[in-house]
Formats: sequence, C-alpha cells, structure tokens
Amino acid sequence: MSEGLQELFWILIFPGFVFTVALGLVVSWVVRKVSARVQWRKGPPLMQPLWDVIKLTGKEVLIPEQANRMVFIGAPMVGMAGVLLLSTMLWRITISHSAFVGDIIVAIYLMVLPSLALILGSSASASPHAALGASREMKLVMGYELPLVLALIVVVIKAGSISLAAIAAQAPIASISGVLAFLVSLLCIQAKLGFVPFDIAESETEIASGMLIEYSGVLLALWKIMQAMMLVALPLFMVMVFLGGFGTSGWPLVWGIGKYLLVVVLAVLIKNTNPRVRIDQAMKFFWVFCGLALAAAVVLAMVGNAYGIGWL
Amino acid sequence: MSWKIKALKKSTWVFHVNTGACNNCDIEVVDLLTPKFDVERFGIKLVGSPRHADALLVTGVVTAQAAPRLREVYMQTPKPCVVFAIGACACGTGIFHKGYHVVGPVDKIIREIDPNAIIAYVPGCPPKPEAMISGVVKAWSAL
Amino acid sequence: MKLQELDDSLQALKDKVISVDKTTDKRIYLTCESEKSFGICKFLYEDLGCRFVIATGIDSDNYFEILYHFAYDELGCVITVKSLVRDKNNPSVDSLANLLPAASWIEREVHDELGIEFKGHPDMRRLILADDWPEGVYPLRKERKK
Repeated sequence: MSEGLQELFWILIFPGFVFTVALGLVVSWVVRKVSARVQWRKGPPLMQPLWDVIKLTGKEVLIPEQANRMVFIGAPMVGMAGVLLLSTMLWRITISHSAFVGDIIVAIYLMVLPSLALILGSSASASPHAALGASREMKLVMGYELPLVLALIVVVIKAGSISLAAIAAQAPIASISGVLAFLVSLLCIQAKLGFVPFDIAESETEIASGMLIEYSGVLLALWKIMQAMMLVALPLFMVMVFLGGFGTSGWPLVWGIGKYLLVVVLAVLIKNTNPRVRIDQAMKFFWVFCGLALAAAVVLAMVGNAYGIGWL
Repeated sequence: MSWKIKALKKSTWVFHVNTGACNNCDIEVVDLLTPKFDVERFGIKLVGSPRHADALLVTGVVTAQAAPRLREVYMQTPKPCVVFAIGACACGTGIFHKGYHVVGPVDKIIREIDPNAIIAYVPGCPPKPEAMISGVVKAWSAL
Repeated sequence: MKLQELDDSLQALKDKVISVDKTTDKRIYLTCESEKSFGICKFLYEDLGCRFVIATGIDSDNYFEILYHFAYDELGCVITVKSLVRDKNNPSVDSLANLLPAASWIEREVHDELGIEFKGHPDMRRLILADDWPEGVYPLRKERKK
C-alpha cells in the first residue's frame, strides 16, 4: 500500500474515525451503566448509544430561520475533526511510538477545539437559551484551561521533556505533586467532558438543554458522536500523561485498559455523587482552589527535581 | 418496517408539555422518569428541548392560552414523532368539559395542523406510571 | 394572646360589622358592607398583626361577596372578612393592594372573573384570562332565571 493510502487507513479506520467512534459508543454505554448501578437500577443495553445515533440520523433536521447556516452546520464538524485528530495522534503514539517533540502542546491545542466548536455552534443558534449556554461555556473554558495547563507543567517538570512518549515512560503520579496534578486535571477533564458538577453549559433543567437546544436530527447525532469520541481521547490522554501510558500487547495492554477504565469510572462516580455548581462557584473553584493546589505542586516538583527527591 | 421507526422504538426521547393541567398527571409523569421504574432500560430519556424529542407527553386540557404554544411545540418536534395524551383531560377534556377556557382535547388541536399526527391516549386521572408504560408499549406494537 | 383576648379586641370593630359569627373556635367570620371592608382589613393587619392569606369572590343572589381571609398564626385561627357589594350593576370596593402588596394579584383575578372594580389598585391588568378573551365578558358570573 502506498504511504497516502496507509495514512488514510490510519485516520479513517484504525485508530481513527471508525475505531474511535465504536470505542466511544461502548465507553458511553459504560458511563450510563455505571450511573445506573450507582442509582440502584439496571441501565440501558449495550447497543443503546448506537440506537440513539441511528435514530437521530432518521429525524428531520430543523434549522432556525435566523441562524447562521454555515456556522450552525460546520460547528459539529469542526469539533469532530479536532477530537478525531487528537485521538488518532494519541493512539498512534501508543501503538507505534511515533512521537514528536512538543506533541503535548499539540494535544492541549486540539483539546480546546471541541469546546470552541460547542460555543460557536450554540452562538449561531439564534436562541437566548443557546446564547446563555454559550456564555457559560466560555466562562467555564476560561476557568479550567489554566489549571489544566499548570498540571501539565508539573508533569513536564518531573519528566524533563515535552514529548508524550517520554512522559508516558515514567509514571509521574508516583509523587505528591503528581497526585495533586492528577486530581486537578481529573476535575478539568470532568468539565471538558460536560459532566456534573461542571455541566453548567448543557444543564437540562435550568436552561432547556442550553447549548444544543436548536440542534436536531443528523447534526445532533454529530454532536453526540463528538462527545463519545471525547470519552475515548481525554481519558487516554490522562493515562498517558499521568498513569504511565498504555501498553500494546500482553500484560501491559490489560494493565493499560484497567487504567483507562479507572479514569472513566472515577469521572462517572464524581458525576453521580455531586450536585451541579453555579458558574461563579466553578470559576472560583478552578482559579482559587485548583490554582493554589497546583502552585504548591509546581513548587514541590521543582524542589524535587533540584534536589533529586523522586517522591516530591 | 422502516428503519427510522425501528430506531424510534429502540430509543425514545420524551419531552413533557403541560397545557393547563392540575399537575396531578405531571407528578405521575415525573414519577415515571425516576430510577424506581428505570425507563432508561427501554431507551427512554427525558430531554430539555422539543427539538431533541421523539415523544411529547402532553398533560392537561388545552386552554385558550396554551393552544398556540402547544402547536408551536409540536411543529418544533422533528418528525417522525408520537404524541402521548396523558390523563383524562388530555384524552377528551375530562371534568373540564364545557369550561369557558377549554379549547378542546389535545388531538383536536394537533390535528388542526397535522392531520396525520400519531397520537396515543393514556386515560386515567391521573394514570399510574405502570399505565403509562403499558401505553407506550402498546403504541410501539401498533407502529 | 388567648382566644378570649382576640374576641375582646374584635369588639372594637362592633360598629363597623353587621355580624360576627364563630362557626368553631378557630374560624371567625366578620360580615360587613363593602364600604367598611378596607377599614376592617387595615385593623386586622396593622393592629392585630394578622397575615393575609387569600381572597375569594362569590356571585350570590342579591350581592357580590368578597371574602378576605386573614390568619392569626399565634392561635391558629382564620378570620374572614365577608364584604357585601350590593350594587350588582357597577360593583366596586376599595382595593387592599396599596396596603398589602400580596393582595394585588388576587384582586386582578377577581376583577377578571367577576368584573368587580377595585378602586385605587395600582396595576389592574388582565391576569388569567386568555389574551384574546373579549373585554367585559366575566366568565364566573352566574346566569339566573328571572
């Protein structure tokens, strides 16, 4: 096969679009099943997320008259493109170790794209509910991006390199600053995935589905697929950055799957045991509390590096 | 049967509309969506926007003020969709028959804008959640 | 204060009311003419410290009745002021809304349904009838055979 065809295969089939979407639908089923068990009930069957998407593609698409059509239709595609690229990149790094220097920065950049796409799509919806959702999501993004980057700085200091493969080789969580950074970035990932306690922007009962209120049919299916793909890419990123990477065969593979499921289940448990916070409470939490915790973590990491103490 | 209807039966997202009810039926609808009856097993989920909905759970006799709003909500729901008229008032005005504010039961208002609407009736005052589940199952087997 | 003291203080209203009925210990009805009802309600609210609960409008044979229900929470009593509006063609009574902002909406509803004019109401707009309901048609007025 020629190079181009092989690249196309990687992006479209494995580990790209088809693989990520399939895995994302399975993981979103895991999320719903764990939520159901926590609430002492059975949950949906395994194929439920797939049926949701199929049903949505069969419904008619209603676009508001005053909406900006190009942005309205383009926004979910932009978001999906960003997550697709991120997921493909991360899987390629774990599977074929084809890392490049500075890929953690590319990952951070790509992780912003889905949130940006949500904001764009809801701003183009010409609805006051969507505008409110968009403004809340903007504030939330401003809130959690800073602690997320600080947490990654901690990891970079400890590993001494900005290459994801090198960071994944160590397990920065085996230290105090690593644990602090892991916990804070778990909460930031929670906000990025749109889970309670930070699902302010898409709060169903408060603002009638907020950001996605005007989306229907195939476009809504695209958003759901994008959210499923985020469930694949973001915990994988966490595993690679903090928990020591994902193996590719034998015991490291099983161990890797275990770590990945651990991150997902942690996010779901936090989701099910907490109420939703207001946007000002969320901002205060991210900037003041997480910021201070991470400042301490950065100091500890630098001290540990300078004096060679590994567990700081 | 067409794949759209098959997928609709496997995954039904409901939106609750109150057109002037006494709230008894609304309490029972909310009861239905709690973990006790666990309708998520059947793929039923409550959504916050009519544009995401497949089934409208309409309670209440339709008052003069609520009639244009009910029509708007129905038009905002992407087809194919099913309208469930919950309770005696929604099925056929119930005890508010001949009230000065009553414009008609739900099916009269919906058929004015869409004569081919799919409407299912769940009578009761209020209907038990088990009756509502039975109504949904019968509607699916009739489709 | 105890029940007996409540009875004594209600004696101050003796010249304003037509009758004082106590159906049970905790339920007192003060019947009066429509001109006097504002003064009685003011006394109940300001001097006795009762809490306004709700108002009711009734279309009776010879007059409209407006019932104002006040709660005396210390004893768990409800005191109802029954105001008789004798003129059925142009019914009107003084509004309580400036004294008790809580009475504003219920007076709007009574006006919508029975057509009773509340003099001095700060914001008399339609409350519960539909936007396209014709003016001057009062749904809860009864039709009586002559």
